[in-house]
Amino acid sequence: MIEIKSLNKKFKNYQALKDINLHIDGGEFVILNGISGSGKTTLLSIIGAIMKPTSGAVEVSGENIVSLSDFHASNYRSTMVGFVTQSFHLFDELSVEDNLFVPLVITNLSDDEVATRIEDAMSVANISHKAQQKTKNLSGGEKQRTVIARALVNKPQIILCDEPTANLDLDNSLKFIEIIKRLKEMKKTIVVATHDPLFSKLSCVDRVINIKEGSLE
Amino acid sequence: MLNKKYIKFLFLLLLTYKKKHLSVFVISTVIVAVLTSTLFISSAIQKDIYITLDGQADFTIQRYKAGKVLNTPESWIDEFLDIDGVSQVQGRIYGMHFYEPAETYFMIVGVDLFDQEVSANLKKLINGIDIDKFLARDNMIIGSDVKKFFDEYQYKGSYSFRPPDRSIKKVYIYDTFPKDSNIVSSDMIIMDKDLARKILGVEDGYVTDIVLEVPNPKEREMVRQKLIISHFNARIIQKKDIKRYYKNLFNYKGGVFLTLYIIVLITFLLILYQRYSLISQNDSKEIALLRSMGWRIDSVIYLKVAENFFVAFGAYLSGVIIAYIYVFFLDAPLLKNIFLGYTNLAHDVSFTPNINNTDLGIIFLVFIIPFLVAIIIPAWQKATIEPTEIMR
Repeated sequence: MIEIKSLNKKFKNYQALKDINLHIDGGEFVILNGISGSGKTTLLSIIGAIMKPTSGAVEVSGENIVSLSDFHASNYRSTMVGFVTQSFHLFDELSVEDNLFVPLVITNLSDDEVATRIEDAMSVANISHKAQQKTKNLSGGEKQRTVIARALVNKPQIILCDEPTANLDLDNSLKFIEIIKRLKEMKKTIVVATHDPLFSKLSCVDRVINIKEGSLE
Repeated sequence: MLNKKYIKFLFLLLLTYKKKHLSVFVISTVIVAVLTSTLFISSAIQKDIYITLDGQADFTIQRYKAGKVLNTPESWIDEFLDIDGVSQVQGRIYGMHFYEPAETYFMIVGVDLFDQEVSANLKKLINGIDIDKFLARDNMIIGSDVKKFFDEYQYKGSYSFRPPDRSIKKVYIYDTFPKDSNIVSSDMIIMDKDLARKILGVEDGYVTDIVLEVPNPKEREMVRQKLIISHFNARIIQKKDIKRYYKNLFNYKGGVFLTLYIIVLITFLLILYQRYSLISQNDSKEIALLRSMGWRIDSVIYLKVAENFFVAFGAYLSGVIIAYIYVFFLDAPLLKNIFLGYTNLAHDVSFTPNINNTDLGIIFLVFIIPFLVAIIIPAWQKATIEPTEIMR
């Protein structure tokens, strides 16, 4: 599913990723474990095609996403990847439902299909009861579930989560993990970058990959 | 691109972030309203004055001595009639009356009501008048500004003039010109020619000046030469010179306004540009967020353009409507005096709507395009940056 070859990323004088080689199968649940600044977010960003590497390749379903034009990279982000971020990044003034509508604006789906997708995504993320609420009025856990729903609304094959429980209490973290388990059951390829020990104990995790100073261990 | 979902999202953003757009909308509306008012006033005045000038004679001849205008001998009229190509030669009696209570001047114009060749402008003003009734006693028709000043000092039915011979001449107010008749008539008093002669102290055998027509434009230069040769002390004013004077005057005033407008517009656009490129972190986050969700650069720019086009177009429409009400319903307080000047009267005139679609189109382009460019450039800059910030 995802094949990373000799990946390097350099920011001015700082080498964030050093010669990364990694294979992730379709439907696999992988934990990228490492401390802050180890390169987890950078690696996720490159897999998600929102950042270009300095060198190397990232093949997703056989296609090197690194060399995609903006048109195709955008299409890839829209259809193949769902992001779950630690800082939520929602449209605070919009309702949960409207936030989920945003990624669908650029699709060719019918109104009915859009409504169904939003409904389904909210249901999986267990946030349907807050559909009409502005996200600025939600709790941290509810915001995180909205972000998950938004990541799912385009039915992507790959879910990338960057420190998803960093801003959540234990109760909400466990709720998040329950949702992730459901995604695993849905055969999604899941990559979670985290140093939260909760994840390494999960039975559904296929692999824990340690990353340190930009290199895989 | 412009599908139902896109439009729905566009209006969702506009309604949700209406406070964000409100200040830009208000400032834009004011700028467009001021510029459009200026153009409306300018067009209305130009139209009124050009219509008036079109009714003027081709040539006006005054007698000069030592740089001062003197009354012109009536005997010149017959001399001018002998020049080939000349027609409708008339002696005019007119002059200024100093209205002491308000320390202002009115223009007294003497009219021979039985003269078939009275000028087109005067004909329009006195059209439909009952001549016998008008001449039954000393009557006058006054402009709207004159009426205003007379009313202010309780001269309701008549006014007593003091001719140069120190006598008192009581003249009755027969009627008032309609307010919207034209700008030139607002400070005018029309009366019988003989009465005007007496009030203004123009001796018999003299007129204030002489006007004449030369229907064939090709003969006008030749006629001008002959007029100069026949009377070296004559000042000859051609209609085209008056037109040119007014054109220059309005171009000058319009130019000053245009310069001010451009300065204001550039300042505003710089603020707008700065707002979108430096200040608005929310806009940057919004763009990065959209990009991370798969929005293409052109989709993002299109959204920003559409969003701001609605604001700019709304401001444009509001500005034009406000300008229309301000100029044609409220008679443009403040701006009117800048254009018409305070030299004689603070004009109490109504502007006749004269909407020039080209002008409105130019305002639209001059306003909307820079407005959108000020949005597009920073939006494009933000959209082309990798949206990785969103992941942090």
